[in-house]
Amino acid sequence: MQAPIDVLPYVKAAAQLIGLTLDDARAQAVSEHFARTVAIATVLEGAPLAPHDELAEIYRPAPFPAEDPQ
Amino acid sequence: MKSPELLAAIATGDLSARQACDAALARIEATDGRVNAFTDRTASRARAEADAIDARRSRGEALPSLAGLPYAVKNLFDIEGVVTLAGSKINRELPPAREDAVLVQRLRAAGAVLVGALNMDEYAYGFSTENTHYGPTRNPHDLTRISGGSSGGSGAAVAALQAPMTLGSDTNGSIRVPSSLCGVWGLKPTFGRLSRRGSYPFVHSIDHLGPLADSVDTLALSYDAMQGPDALDPGCHAVRAQPAAAQTRRGAQGLRIGVLGGYFNELATPAAREVVAVAARALGARDEVIWPDAAMARAAAFLITASEGGSLHLDDLRKRPQDFEPLSVDRFISGLLQPADWVIRAQRFRRVYRDKVNALFARWDVLLCAATPVSAPEIGSEWLEINGQRHPSRPAMGLLTQPISFAGCPVAVAPMWPSSTSGMPIGVQLIAAPWNEHLALRAAHTLEKVGVAGLKKGAL
Repeated sequence: MQAPIDVLPYVKAAAQLIGLTLDDARAQAVSEHFARTVAIATVLEGAPLAPHDELAEIYRPAPFPAEDPQ
Repeated sequence: MKSPELLAAIATGDLSARQACDAALARIEATDGRVNAFTDRTASRARAEADAIDARRSRGEALPSLAGLPYAVKNLFDIEGVVTLAGSKINRELPPAREDAVLVQRLRAAGAVLVGALNMDEYAYGFSTENTHYGPTRNPHDLTRISGGSSGGSGAAVAALQAPMTLGSDTNGSIRVPSSLCGVWGLKPTFGRLSRRGSYPFVHSIDHLGPLADSVDTLALSYDAMQGPDALDPGCHAVRAQPAAAQTRRGAQGLRIGVLGGYFNELATPAAREVVAVAARALGARDEVIWPDAAMARAAAFLITASEGGSLHLDDLRKRPQDFEPLSVDRFISGLLQPADWVIRAQRFRRVYRDKVNALFARWDVLLCAATPVSAPEIGSEWLEINGQRHPSRPAMGLLTQPISFAGCPVAVAPMWPSSTSGMPIGVQLIAAPWNEHLALRAAHTLEKVGVAGLKKGAL
């Protein structure tokens, strides 16, 4: 599969930015995956998110206390 | 002998734990050259654990719930003295684990006997267990076909009658896909139910662990034995155990059960629809239910998986990409390059999505859909067709599982047998609201009891 023309330069530039060295064959293969990911990300573009819709929580500073303060 | 009978025979003394252990080890020796489910065997440890059970019985002690049950674990679980491969070549350089994973510790305390570690897709990124480093795990029902993944060894070992219970992990379907393709029972618990400490991670924000088994009773007993809080696993949200095995035997009577339509029907082949219809009839389910935003959820799960999974391995991807699995290394790299907006959007969507999914369960106790769109493809398949649409074969295995695990809902998989797949199984997902594993297991128990779901002898 031929990757879209604008994906390959992005893949090469972004990879260089995070210290990944891609030869031409690897860059092409990654671009093919990345082009599929672009299509998948487009599906999510349709999600109606409001400004107050926060991230699903991951970080918690501490467990909720079992007892209320006296 | 299925595991409930095995456990009963050991409990009464009709069979020793050592006899059960030796039988499992012999079966592995006789069959694994063809299946390739195991990457390590722990025979010495298994015999010692079995002998300890027999010694307890000879002293007149009460035996725990899984006394003498042989089991094996996906090779991303720490086993004391064994290198935790996580399906990779790179991890061979790690020192052996210094202690068992928490779930292995809990199963040992429940009397189960560990016989080995099982093959998987490298770092759990795959649905086929076509592992280049360790060879493909073959489907016991047709050795030319995949076992599913990433817990392919876990599904195949149960289907090949090498071990009646195994542990797997499930981020996007990795317990449910091999359960479906190998024709065994599986349980992906609620996200946050079971401790993941001592297992090699794939995607921290979606990883689950759970059992596969040859019967619903053993699935539920194993699940119960592994429950409990773990303050040292930030992803373990359970504050106490909620045993399910006793409730499981109540069956599905009184449950409000629906059948998922829309996305889940459109992406199921006729054979997959057939088994869902059989399960629905057996459970008295008539109403079609639409799951919210399934396609978006799958997209969001895909983006988070690729990004988090890639980030975990950045250092090795920089230094030694040639040592990664050729089937997934490009996906790991691609995931690392995603714009931040995609991942943040996916995490924001997940919160909204969770609320919609939980609202759906105000009206339903259990929802049904197929676990995979098709039965097991041949090893090496690149493409498959689903209702006239061509899909890349390996990622397509997760089409029906990804939206469910992204919500964190518990799912039991029932092994079922379509009439048009030449004897190959397709599983049915029994989905419940978070923290309601017992409801999914009750429906599973009914399907087993009425005889529409269960294991069949493989080709070995």
